[in-house]
Amino acid sequence: MQDLLNAATLGSIYLLFALGMALVWGTIGILNFAHGATFMFSAFVGHMVSRETELPFLGVIVIAVLTGAVISSLTMLLAFQPILKRSKNQHAAEMRILIGGIGVAAIPLALAQRETRSSPFGFKSSYKPEVFEVLGLRITTTSAIIIVTGLVMGIGLTLWLRRSRQGLALRAIGVDAETAAGMGVNRTALAFGTMAVAGALAGLAGALLTFQLGAIAPETGDQLVIKAFAVIVLGGLGSMAGTVIGAYVLAGAETFVVSMNWGTWVDAVSFGLIFLILLARPQGLLGRKEVRRT
Amino acid sequence: MSDWYYMNVVLIQTTLTTLLLALSIQVPLRFGVFSFAGVGAFGIGGYGGAMAMVHLEWSTWPAVAVGALAAAVVVSLLGLVVQRLTGLYMGMATIAFTLIISVLAVNGGDATGGAGGLYGALGEINMQQIVLVVVAVVAVLVWTEARGLGRRIDTVREDPELANALGIDVNRYRLMSFALSGLIGGLAGAITTLLRSTITPAEVNFHLVIVALTAIVVGGARSWLGALIGAVIFVWLPTWLSFVQEWEKVAYGFIVAAAAIYLPNGVLGVAKDALHRYRTREERARVAVLQEKS
Repeated sequence: MQDLLNAATLGSIYLLFALGMALVWGTIGILNFAHGATFMFSAFVGHMVSRETELPFLGVIVIAVLTGAVISSLTMLLAFQPILKRSKNQHAAEMRILIGGIGVAAIPLALAQRETRSSPFGFKSSYKPEVFEVLGLRITTTSAIIIVTGLVMGIGLTLWLRRSRQGLALRAIGVDAETAAGMGVNRTALAFGTMAVAGALAGLAGALLTFQLGAIAPETGDQLVIKAFAVIVLGGLGSMAGTVIGAYVLAGAETFVVSMNWGTWVDAVSFGLIFLILLARPQGLLGRKEVRRT
Repeated sequence: MSDWYYMNVVLIQTTLTTLLLALSIQVPLRFGVFSFAGVGAFGIGGYGGAMAMVHLEWSTWPAVAVGALAAAVVVSLLGLVVQRLTGLYMGMATIAFTLIISVLAVNGGDATGGAGGLYGALGEINMQQIVLVVVAVVAVLVWTEARGLGRRIDTVREDPELANALGIDVNRYRLMSFALSGLIGGLAGAITTLLRSTITPAEVNFHLVIVALTAIVVGGARSWLGALIGAVIFVWLPTWLSFVQEWEKVAYGFIVAAAAIYLPNGVLGVAKDALHRYRTREERARVAVLQEKS
């Protein structure tokens, strides 16, 4: 049972992280490889600020969320937007965006590694987690907050994308960008908004994970990108509900591997999952099959 | 000249092995396969060669051959498995493959030396031998770039449907790119490892993907010459500019991102464009002179 709780906490972190990536990739078609660096650097900025002055829990979260949104918008403005403008076709653009994202991701990573000498960093905060027992399970306030935030964000974003007008516009871009633009959807503004929201989610996940673990290493972000990719592919690209399920399935599988004492194999779970899903059901659990000419 | 040579032997060796690594990723790109499996092949080749030397006490070149062949076989099998995937999915699946190699190496027990890596595999490799290997590899690649075969490969990359219609077996070409990439990556890994006498799982990581990708993106992705330009730039840049050394990784990130945005065909692409423009102008001038005479 305790394992189940751990899996839920881990799953919510994966979910918060993967939601932003899934949102951007599923709608405006950008697989943002710098998402992990955004995640890490938001927490890192929180760390830098909290080194100067002690901050309350919410203070750190706000700083990280804002940093994430700013980094993500800047990435869009300085890297992805020019690439999209200069690319002839979708396929070439995809590849250049991935490469550009890898390049952008290297910058904050190198800066943080330089500053911390590659050692883990945490927050100095007035917040102290408390442990309480529910039904014989030990749960900290941090993991309770994480689980609730993850679920609220996951379900909220799913509903927003399904019900609201902006959600409809975003999904329309995902189906056919040009027709959507012809129907009066402001593509550029929505793309920036989506990237900012994704960055904010990454910042939120970064701050929460750092509170949960006490400290994170600068390299944490890159591993999470691959895991988030596994989550998105598992759930099905373009389906937010799929992403929610995928995050908890991956977390459950990893927790299972750890509880069986195969700890060193834990990273292989997500990589193996990517393989299995891509081979057996490339459209994912809840994804629609894409019709393509080849 | 010879003084300069003796002072820089290590750098020259690194340039050549980096060239091989870059080529292992460039070859599939030229076939339109977005595969990073070459870096995984680097790991297999390195471990294969080191294990043959340390455990089986083979001599240097049989060990290198075994490592390279093992890498070629494994990557070909991977190619069979993932050949249905395209674009980003292929990219991420092969990144996952590369990282699985590193997880396997951590869990290999005595055979791979676990997380600490494998030591004491010092091969006897001199410069002439490395140059010979590189020249052989480049000769094969020049053959694939020239004339009919080169044009068929370009068609497979730019327009697979057209290639199919022309009677080109696209799948066979793609599989061939996997085998070549595995072989070249394996050679790079085995030679690098036996030169340094050690290999650790941490070496087969994401940073290696970035190094290889940087060399290709900056140099030019369409020809082996581009990979050579990239390898030279990235191995020698830190020695030319001392401030780069300190900010090496930050500079890498900036350069990759900038190249992805502004130079999709790399330095080689720019040079070729300039040459083309120069020739066109010459030709026009010649024609104009002729017309005036008549």
